[in-house]
Amino acid sequence: MDEMLLAFLLFWLPVAVVPLGGWIYLSSSDERSKSYGRLLAFIGLVLVCISPWTVPSSPSTAAGHLLGAIIGPAMLIVIGIYLVSFSGHVPVGRLSRGDRRLGVVMSIFGIAWFAGMHWWILTPQMSKGDVNSYWFVFWPAFLLLTSCLSSFSGIALLTIGDGRKAESNMMFTLSGAAFILLFLGLNFDGTLVSSEDFRRHLWLSVADLAGLAVGSILSIIVFALVIFVYEKTLPSPSSIQAPTDVELQRVADIITPHLGGGEE
Amino acid sequence: MNDSRLALTWRLMAFAFILPLLLIIAVDITLSAGVQNFDTDVSFTRFANATLTGYTLLSFVLLGNLFFYGESRNRPLAPLAGMLCASLLGIAATVFLIGQGPLLLEDNGSVQAQAIYNVVHTLVTAGAVVLATTVSLGATFSAVTSQKRRIHFEVEEE
Repeated sequence: MDEMLLAFLLFWLPVAVVPLGGWIYLSSSDERSKSYGRLLAFIGLVLVCISPWTVPSSPSTAAGHLLGAIIGPAMLIVIGIYLVSFSGHVPVGRLSRGDRRLGVVMSIFGIAWFAGMHWWILTPQMSKGDVNSYWFVFWPAFLLLTSCLSSFSGIALLTIGDGRKAESNMMFTLSGAAFILLFLGLNFDGTLVSSEDFRRHLWLSVADLAGLAVGSILSIIVFALVIFVYEKTLPSPSSIQAPTDVELQRVADIITPHLGGGEE
Repeated sequence: MNDSRLALTWRLMAFAFILPLLLIIAVDITLSAGVQNFDTDVSFTRFANATLTGYTLLSFVLLGNLFFYGESRNRPLAPLAGMLCASLLGIAATVFLIGQGPLLLEDNGSVQAQAIYNVVHTLVTAGAVVLATTVSLGATFSAVTSQKRRIHFEVEEE
């Protein structure tokens, strides 16, 4: 089979199927459609993750390889944060103290796993010694944005929140931890990733994030303009007649007995 | 919150957002007398490609969103056609600008290869953005719920 067709069928189609499955799952009301959406997204995800083996000739499948490599630590962190969040003071569905400890352990283990992918032998490799190029895209962008967003959140809690100093300090700690990982990456070589490589890709990830932000803002502006122009071309709705005296009297008769209060 | 205080708050939050990046640059300048391994041309190429691809991909996502917006308006075709044109304009601009030569062409041999690379690259960056946002928002929520519950209103005794 043609390589392009193979890449389309075994990589790009599954890539498109994942959000489609998610959309069906979220927008459907009946259980059968929800299950169908879930299954579709899962099959798409599996096919994307195994695409480096099913379509080895396509360089794009390195992204599928990266997804397979990071899904473990990412899920550990996300589930860990979920457990920590919902074992705190929430009004409904509160989890136990044990879940909280488990959540903390899972989050720390997830972060340690990511750190091991940079400094130890866990780095995603396409072949022995050949580091997946998309790892250099993902890791610096993730660390930098986590540090920036946590710092932003810390200040937001401090300035907008009321008496949220402790929470704010926790966010500054997270921001500082991400910053320290960045700083270590910039100065200490890993088993397969050198600090020079990391430094070069950090600046490129800044360009990536800035470009993505500018492109997204432009797109949202165009979207708002399209709606604005369309709404402006619509004819204004016709006004109805003002109520007559008889109608006003009828309304007053209905409202009057319901005014007042304090009497049981 | 009055206007001047609100403006100050926004400025503080914007500063806090870029603070880690400023710190890295400051440390780099202090230790190495300059920002090391920063290539202006390569970074500009990456920025331009990310802008074009981000615009095009999000335009298509918003086009899908517009489909649902039309559900409550008897499915008008005008906004859908308008957004489709805006999305196609993104594709045309990407193909045209990449085709102009080395300005937007990275280590790829053809316009098609560069465009596909841009899409995959943007998806990976978007994945990093989603995970970083989830971690930061989740940690904020965890920090808020982990503190002692506060009583905002005293219960009035009869």
